[in-house]
Amino acid sequence: MNVMTRATADVLITGVAVLSAFGRGMGALAAGLDAGAPAFAPVGRFDVTGRRVGVAATLPGSPDLATELAALVDEACDEAKLSTAERAATPLFLAVHGDPRLARSAPADRPRHGGAAFVAALAAGAGLGAPRAYTSACVAASTAIADAAGIITRGEAARVVVAGGYLVDADQFALFDAGRAFAADGAIRPFSARRRGLLLGDGAGAVVLESAAAARDRTVAPLATLAGWGRAGDAHHPCQPHPQGRGMARAITAALRRGGVGPDEVGYVNAHGSGTAQSDAAEAEALRTALGGHAAAVPVSSTKALHGQALEASGVLELAVTLHALRGGRLPVNAGYLAPDEQCPLNLVLDGARPATPAYALTLNAAFGGANTALLLGAEA
Amino acid sequence: MNGLRGRAAEAGLRVLAAAGWPGPADAEPPRLAGFVHSNFNPIVAAVAGRCLAELPESAPPDGDDAGTALVLVSDLGDVESAAHVARAVDTGARVGPLFFFQSVPNAVLGHVAARHALTGPVACVCDAASGLDVARGLLADGDAGRVLLIELDHDETGETAAAVLVADGGAS
Repeated sequence: MNVMTRATADVLITGVAVLSAFGRGMGALAAGLDAGAPAFAPVGRFDVTGRRVGVAATLPGSPDLATELAALVDEACDEAKLSTAERAATPLFLAVHGDPRLARSAPADRPRHGGAAFVAALAAGAGLGAPRAYTSACVAASTAIADAAGIITRGEAARVVVAGGYLVDADQFALFDAGRAFAADGAIRPFSARRRGLLLGDGAGAVVLESAAAARDRTVAPLATLAGWGRAGDAHHPCQPHPQGRGMARAITAALRRGGVGPDEVGYVNAHGSGTAQSDAAEAEALRTALGGHAAAVPVSSTKALHGQALEASGVLELAVTLHALRGGRLPVNAGYLAPDEQCPLNLVLDGARPATPAYALTLNAAFGGANTALLLGAEA
Repeated sequence: MNGLRGRAAEAGLRVLAAAGWPGPADAEPPRLAGFVHSNFNPIVAAVAGRCLAELPESAPPDGDDAGTALVLVSDLGDVESAAHVARAVDTGARVGPLFFFQSVPNAVLGHVAARHALTGPVACVCDAASGLDVARGLLADGDAGRVLLIELDHDETGETAAAVLVADGGAS
């Protein structure tokens, strides 16, 4: 086997755009995170009659996913100051459940509504090249970001735009309700005693990843570095995490090793923290395995308690959250907390946003299939 | 032999094993406990198991650190189940809980990973070129020692699938 390659060419973040239930833009997200008030409210976007739970974190109305993604990709590319020619040479990776129209398309029309066609249309509209769609559930966006970083590090592209989007919809809502995955008390309580499950939230975003050399040539100021990335599988169950967080621990270790960063240099962890009993306990165990004694000291929060579970878009939404933590000087709160759970002995950010200036922060995601990702962001750019 | 095998070799990957679905003797795929309604998940599990069974015992190990990754290529995913759920939502009918657990393509990969002890990364993409590129990147960067790449296509007659187990470099 190969020995894991180190990130020999620094991967920078030179543009970002985001949408959440707090509104459109990093400013709205930052204000929501700093305020620390969960965005969950009764769902008005579709009928929830008969569902066990009727709340989600949504923007007003029924925004169109393709329209929102097009705007976000443009915004991120503009922040990165990409020219038309630079856009044309830049691959677009998209994390998405699929074309929202697919499930209601006639069988003969389905090929026009596949994920490949959906991302191709987005790339064509944005003037970007080499479209690729990821449908790997809650690690779709973070996996795309890791793949993009690998491509840049290997010198196969100067930059990659990664976008992701999920807007709360009737079908996924019905599925999660049927699976009894929702928190019946209407709150996500990551790593807390008496946590009851998850809730859905709108989330979408786009990020421009770029080699340090390319950004330097264009004299573009980076927002942060993507210092490391790792992913690994649990090999345990179709939809339950390994109880000891085996895959997540290996993903975190790989991200730190790739970045050449020691566990005690990590100053914040934006956890996957879904608010489910098994997943949070497994993630806490993974942090103990990967970070050792530092796991009990490093500040941790799951901001899903504020903006909800954005499924395929989680990786890009929570990367934006982690960027805010690195650049804003405030770590977002782990909302919804009731009491300690002995299975989750973490230094959670409670009682509001906490002032801090971490040099490095991890953002973690896990998904069905035992898929785990860890992205390591650095503030030193 | 199948097209995926050839494309993997053209991409510079070393093909350790390959399989397809359906074979000459195949009718329905074996039932898969916990998965209902469509053939998507049973076919993915069947072709994955068939491919891994083709691996020669003399093949070198996948590496005890990175392990074997799983990459699934499917443009439409389990569209039959998704359409069933959409109809239920639109008519106010009950949505069965098992549809939640199979609502993303990752789920069956978790089944395959658990059954065959595959501890590498798990990814799903929508076209074969992307799948091959993801596999190549995982191997080149040492994120996986091997990749089990599965491609499932839909046509008028149903689903067909191919799988290859690949490693870095060299011709097949």
